[in-house]
Formats: sequence, C-alpha cells, structure tokens
Amino acid sequence: MNNWLNQHRQAIKLVLSRMRSNKLPTFMICLVIAVAMCVPGLFYLGVDHLSKFTNHIQNETEISLFLKLDADKDAVSDIDAVLAKNNAIKQFHLVTKAQAWKELKSKTEINNATDSKISELDKNPLPDAFFIQAKSAEPEALESLKNELEKIPGVEHALLNTDWAKRLSALLSLGKKIILFITVLLALALLVVIGNTIRMQILTQKDEVVVSKLIGATNSFIRMPFLYAGIIYGLLGGLLATIMLVLVVKLFNLSVSDLSNLYSSDFSLPLINGQLFLGIISFAIFIGWLGSYLAVSRSIASIKID
Amino acid sequence: MIKFDQVTKRYPGSNEALRNVSFNIEAGELVFVTGHSGAGKSTLLKLIAAIERPTSGTVLIANQNISKLKSSAIPFMRRRFGLIFQDHKLLYDRNCFENVILPLHINGITGLEAAKRVRAALDKVGLLHKEKAMPITLSGGEQQRLAIARAVVSRPSILIADEPTGNLDASYAADIMAIFHAFHQVGVTIIIATHDALGMSAIQSRALHLDHGVLKQAEFTQNEHSTS
Repeated sequence: MNNWLNQHRQAIKLVLSRMRSNKLPTFMICLVIAVAMCVPGLFYLGVDHLSKFTNHIQNETEISLFLKLDADKDAVSDIDAVLAKNNAIKQFHLVTKAQAWKELKSKTEINNATDSKISELDKNPLPDAFFIQAKSAEPEALESLKNELEKIPGVEHALLNTDWAKRLSALLSLGKKIILFITVLLALALLVVIGNTIRMQILTQKDEVVVSKLIGATNSFIRMPFLYAGIIYGLLGGLLATIMLVLVVKLFNLSVSDLSNLYSSDFSLPLINGQLFLGIISFAIFIGWLGSYLAVSRSIASIKID
Repeated sequence: MIKFDQVTKRYPGSNEALRNVSFNIEAGELVFVTGHSGAGKSTLLKLIAAIERPTSGTVLIANQNISKLKSSAIPFMRRRFGLIFQDHKLLYDRNCFENVILPLHINGITGLEAAKRVRAALDKVGLLHKEKAMPITLSGGEQQRLAIARAVVSRPSILIADEPTGNLDASYAADIMAIFHAFHQVGVTIIIATHDALGMSAIQSRALHLDHGVLKQAEFTQNEHSTS
C-alpha cells in the first residue's frame, strides 16, 4: 500500500518537474483544452438560464378570456358562474375594462411613452377580461380548456399565453442538442490533441522507457507518469476554462445590463455555476486521462527493447 | 541457477544466432562468455535476461521457464538481474544520483532508505563525490561505473554485463573488472560477455566460448595470477 502510494507520488513529482521545465508547451496544451471546454460551457450557461426562465413562465400558465366589447354586467356574471362550475379551473379573476384602462394609462406614464397615442384616446378600447389559471399544466389539457372557454357565449377571444414560451423551449431543447453535438466533436478533437502530445512526450522519453523496461519496470509503472500528465493537463485546462467562463460571463453581463435596462428587465447570467464548473473540470480530467491512455498503451507497446 | 537446455535462437530473416546451446551456471559463479563478435554472446545474455525468448529449447532461471512466463511476470523476473551494457544506457537528462535511484523507484523504494542505498552503491564504484554530476560530464570509465552502480543498487543476485570494458582503455578496464571481482567475492552470480581476454585473465573463472552460435567446450581459465 505504502509502495503503491510512493510510486504515484514519484510519478506526479516527475511529471510536475517536467512541466516546470516546459512551461510554455504545457500552458499551450492547457489553453487548447480550456478553449475547447469553454465554448460549449458558455453556450450551455446561456441556454440553461433561458430554459429555466421559460420553465418558470410555463408554470404560470394563464388563459386570458376577452369578452365582447358590448358585454354588460349580467353577461359578465353569467360567465363568472360558468367558470366557477368548471372543475378544470383552479382559480380565476376578473379585470374589468375600467381597471385595465387605468393600469394601461399608468404604465405608459411610467415608461414615459410621450409619443404614445394612448393618452390621446378619449374612449376606452379595452374589453372586460377573465384571467384563468388551470389546474393542469399539460399543454393538451390547456388547449382543450381554451377551446371550451372560447365557445362560451359572450366571449370574443381566448388566449393561451404560453404559446411563445412553448416555442422557445422547443428551440432551446434543440439548442441543447446542438451543444451536446459540439461538445462531442470538441472532445474528440481534444482526445486527438492530448493523445498526440503524450505520444510526442513518450518519443522524447524513449530512452527512459527502454531503460525502465530493461531494469524490470512493469508497464503500469512506465505508463503512470504519462497518464498523470494527461490528468494534470485536464485539471489545469478545466480550471483555466472556468476562469475564462467567469470572465466572459462578467463581460457579457456588463454589456447586457445596458440592454436589459432598456427593457426594464434584470436579465443577467449567474457568475458562478458550481455544478457546471465541476462538470467541466471533471470532464476535462477524464478527457486528459483517456487521451493519454489511448496514446500510451499503443506507444509503449511499440517501443522495443534490445 | 541458470540452465540452458538445447537452446536455439533464430532471428527472423537470418541464420541461427545460437544453436543447441546447453550449459548450467551455479549460484555464486563468475562466468565469462567469450567469442568473436557475432558469435551470439549478446543473444545469450538477452535470453538470460528474458529480453528475448528461445526459438526452441528451454531457459530456466531459478527453476522458472522463461518461455512459459507470462509477459506480466517478466518485469519481476528482470528485477533479479542487474544489467550492464556496453553503451551504458544511462539517462542523460538527470544526474548520477537520479540515474542510480531508478531501479529502487521501480521496486517502490523511496525516501531516506533509497538515498542510503544509492550512496552505498555509488561508494562501491568510487563515484560518491559525483552524485550531483550529470552523466555526460563523466569519463567513459566513470559512466560504466555509474551503470554498474545502477545495476547493483537493488542488490540483485545475478549481474549480467555485455562487453562492460569494450570501449575502455586497459587501466579503466582493470578498474571495472576489480569491481566485478569484489561483487563475486560477496556471492553474486556474475556473467560477463567479452571478446578481450585481458580482463578475464586476472580472475580464475569459467568461460563459455561461442563460435558462430555453437558452444565450444566450456573451459576453465587456468591462469592463476594473483588478483590485483
């Protein structure tokens, strides 16, 4: 056990001292890993944030029921009774045309929409409306409820406000698939790059491999420093990738904050995403290990002693 | 300890390097393998060190058949040997101390214990004061002594040397032979391949003479000069 630990410690020490004497090439390979990890990481961060955002909206599904403009108080209370009886509805509330008018006016004042023609209107153009929350969040159930409500006499139009959110989330799930695809491609490229780097290292350390074999080193002993080199490249590359991610997100948030202020929204990407960072680092380590493992097994077998 | 029985070794696309070679080396013996170059001396040593496998016949090392060893067991077999080569096979990217410690690391020995044994080995070959020097700065004879230190540091029971004095002038060669003799005195089995009779004449020993891959009469050297 102690032996085993010692061998690993020796291997790591050897790798670190080799890296110290080859700082620039080491940094280069780590940079390659970092960039390749950073790109899908960044996309993921964006898509993930957007999809959380849309999920949130989808959970708040509302059906807006607009009544005919000429609907009077009796018609409104009739519809109120119909809605109360429908057991697919969790809750609903009425916004009368007067309330809606007032709200609209106050909103335009806040937004300083001086060029808006709303203030020039002398007659309220808005209908009475019911805002309905269904018990189910299933798109099909909502659709049929919407159709059902639309048939109630006195109703002009029923609107399901989640249509655009649904479309966006479909788009986002496509985006996630594309990210997966990019990640796989970049991982393959990384495997090749790391494998090649390790193969070159083995060739430059060929004498050492031959001598070690001659004096009774097992293949796993010879492999160990090269595997650790791959792992350490992965670790450093992964760390560098997370640093780059944080910087890019910070820059992005700075420039997007101006834009989102105009839309009076506070959209920004979270700076630290522990799960993603951990995922990136462990994935980079895995790729580093796998790349060097593939290279080492073949190269060491091909070095003949004589 | 080492037993060859009807061993033939043929390399692809060439004649037989060894033909029907049989001999027996007891523990603690000092044996010279002699013959002109190309006679099969190196092949014989490679068969002993499990670097090559015989085409036919059996090689037994400590009652283990080399041909039947699994490839995963071969590294452990090789640790019984200390190997010394004509071209030293030192690692020129590290200093003397680090060269000698390599077999100990392979055996999982590190730290103070390893350092103690490395210094003991360097002391035996007279290179203790050069432990921080890079091998490239050493003379040919010193490099060969460093290679010997590396071969003996893990205290193997068998030392195998292929032309250890091949590139050295007479006084260096005598130094090297004296070191081998000292190890022989403490019971190490030593097998030395050499084409020059100069070194071996000083020590009473057995010689295996190879001629075009055939073992001629194994003979004892009778020159009993006082060993200097």
